[in-house]
Amino acid sequence: MTTTSTKTVEIKVERTIPAPASEVFDAWLDPKIPGTPWHEHDKLIVNPKVDGLWYWLSLGGTSHYGRFIEIDRPGRIQHSWMSRNTLGEESMVTVTFQKKGEGTLMTILHSGLPNDDMAKAHEKGWTSLFGKFGNVFAGGSNR
Amino acid sequence: MDHLTDVLTAISHPTRRAIIGQLANGPARFLDVAKPFDTALNAVTKHLKLLERAGLIERRKQGREVFISFRGEPLREVAGWVNEYERFWNKRLDHFERYFEDKKEKKVKEK
Repeated sequence: MTTTSTKTVEIKVERTIPAPASEVFDAWLDPKIPGTPWHEHDKLIVNPKVDGLWYWLSLGGTSHYGRFIEIDRPGRIQHSWMSRNTLGEESMVTVTFQKKGEGTLMTILHSGLPNDDMAKAHEKGWTSLFGKFGNVFAGGSNR
Repeated sequence: MDHLTDVLTAISHPTRRAIIGQLANGPARFLDVAKPFDTALNAVTKHLKLLERAGLIERRKQGREVFISFRGEPLREVAGWVNEYERFWNKRLDHFERYFEDKKEKKVKEK
């Protein structure tokens, strides 16, 4: 799900993980576990405590930085996220862990992501795409 | 339902995408919009209603005639939805979920 304002975009993804919340929570902060934010890296420093900093040089060679704002085991982790993709702005990642049956519903909310250029680029893409649609369907088949 | 759902519903049908494609070339009257399709007129009306609810089209009266025009703005939401970060986090969660599933399977086997 995404909500948009004029300047920033917010994305939300959810997933149910088949394990109890405390186990999922601990795993999420362990870079050795596949799928965690800092798992694959060229260089990594993670200090997962409130006001702790993290630095992640991804395999693609992009530097990412942030600070931990909230670490509330086993329910919630919040940290900032900066990279060249956030255009120097501090975006915010909030991860929540909720009991769901025998598993844990994880929700990742990534907010404060810049929207401007991306939206413009996409708009161009859409316009040309629909131009093509127009040509394809101009013949008048009902598909 | 949220607005993004309305937009995704609107563009989920080939006929509605075809209507958008047609209108992207410029505003048109209802009968001109309906002309390329073999569908009944009230089916076209239904498609237009869904497009209107999503904010993808607008009706404007010009004299006696009503012109329907395309509005691209709601598509930004769709573009945002397939944001790079959305893909990034979903991919991470795919791996993370698989890790726990494998772990669970191993436990079952050990028992």
